[in-house]
Amino acid sequence: MSVPLSQMWTVATYVLRQKLARRKRYPFVLMLEPLFRCNLACAGCGKIQYPAQILKKNLSVEKCLAAVEECGAPIVSIPGGEPLMYPDIDRLVAELVKRKKYVYLCTNAILLKEKLDLFTPSKYLSFSVHMDGLREEHDEAVCRDGVYDQAVPAIREAVARGFRVTTNSTLFDGASPLRMREFFDEMMSLGVEGMMVSPGYSYSKAPDQEHFLLQSRTHELFSKMLASPKKRWRFNQSPLFLRFLMGKHDFECTPWGNPTYNMFGWQRPCYLLQEGYARTFQELMDTTLWENYGKKSGNEKCRDCMVHCGYEATAVDYTFSSLKGFVETVGVTLTGKL
Amino acid sequence: MSLEGWVPDVGQYLTLEEVVEFAFDYRGNTTIVKADGTEFVGYIFNRNTYGPEPFIEYFDESGEGPFTLRYSELANVKFTGKDTAAGNSWKAWLERKEREKAERVPAQVVPDPDPHRG
Repeated sequence: MSVPLSQMWTVATYVLRQKLARRKRYPFVLMLEPLFRCNLACAGCGKIQYPAQILKKNLSVEKCLAAVEECGAPIVSIPGGEPLMYPDIDRLVAELVKRKKYVYLCTNAILLKEKLDLFTPSKYLSFSVHMDGLREEHDEAVCRDGVYDQAVPAIREAVARGFRVTTNSTLFDGASPLRMREFFDEMMSLGVEGMMVSPGYSYSKAPDQEHFLLQSRTHELFSKMLASPKKRWRFNQSPLFLRFLMGKHDFECTPWGNPTYNMFGWQRPCYLLQEGYARTFQELMDTTLWENYGKKSGNEKCRDCMVHCGYEATAVDYTFSSLKGFVETVGVTLTGKL
Repeated sequence: MSLEGWVPDVGQYLTLEEVVEFAFDYRGNTTIVKADGTEFVGYIFNRNTYGPEPFIEYFDESGEGPFTLRYSELANVKFTGKDTAAGNSWKAWLERKEREKAERVPAQVVPDPDPHRG
């Protein structure tokens, strides 16, 4: 496993502070979307279907920072859209680093090489490059040929210049466990710090509705893919979340774990479902009917969801809430056996 | 099925609240018709029915906003803008890729069954 110790320590102490304050619900990762426009139109993405005047808009850096302060999460993930198309991305990242937030800048890496000069390597900044598999699978997932071949040299360059680089992969029905194992080898050869994997979720607005994974297929795919994991593979995520994907844990969703902020406000209830917006983070936490979400709720939209933004927070909370969870996490981390 | 082009008939069988729900779910501009008869184009991104005065939130056609409008000031919403979520780009992309692959394969040389014909 490859989450750096300083980051683990920050998250651990943050969770303990929440527990001591007897907070029932608290965020882990703020999903900050400063814009919706993207230089790709992936079939699995429901984030970019908006009229032109919405796609042209950007959140101001000040609004982004206010949201970060309001939320208080120790980790800020910047998806989008494509964040490298955000005109103030360098200033935003610098301000977040100054505030000692761990930043995951999610990018398809098309612009990464040319924008690298805007950033300074830091333990707080990681480029999280969207890679859905080897060349053929990735280009198919992003609906454009040649993107894999643009991303690979950009990753090499970023690694060579001392940046933290991780990958994030969304897997859909039909993904081959064997090909994904080859992909893990390939990514580790590029020198990335760690990889993140998650099953896709069927956004109601995503054009591709046929290829999202059901729960049983998710267990099967991840069990095969992660069986006897190679020692050189490093995952930048909770090992218990990976075990959950393999069917070895039965977690409940933590929809408030990764709250989402964008130009519409605080999205209810989670990163994936758009059921409305609150004007403040507190309003989101206080007025969202959380009991209506997650598998136990019976909400059919949540039935097959096993996505990281709902369950990784549960896994992390489990690690730091019980001795059993902590021992299990340490055991998996030390042995590398999932 | 897309709602693009739909002009709801608000009345006995379709309430304004239902139309607003459709509009909230719609990924295109709409024409917002106010109770005083005036109309303007905007993108409705939220509605709030929790409080004593339910309202919608929208950005106008030039991206200015967000603005709010109370339900009591609203008469109808027409689905006049392009539905940006409509279509099946995955399928279209796969079809295009297959077509391109087929075009890259050189045409097969079929032996002439009658090489002696004139």
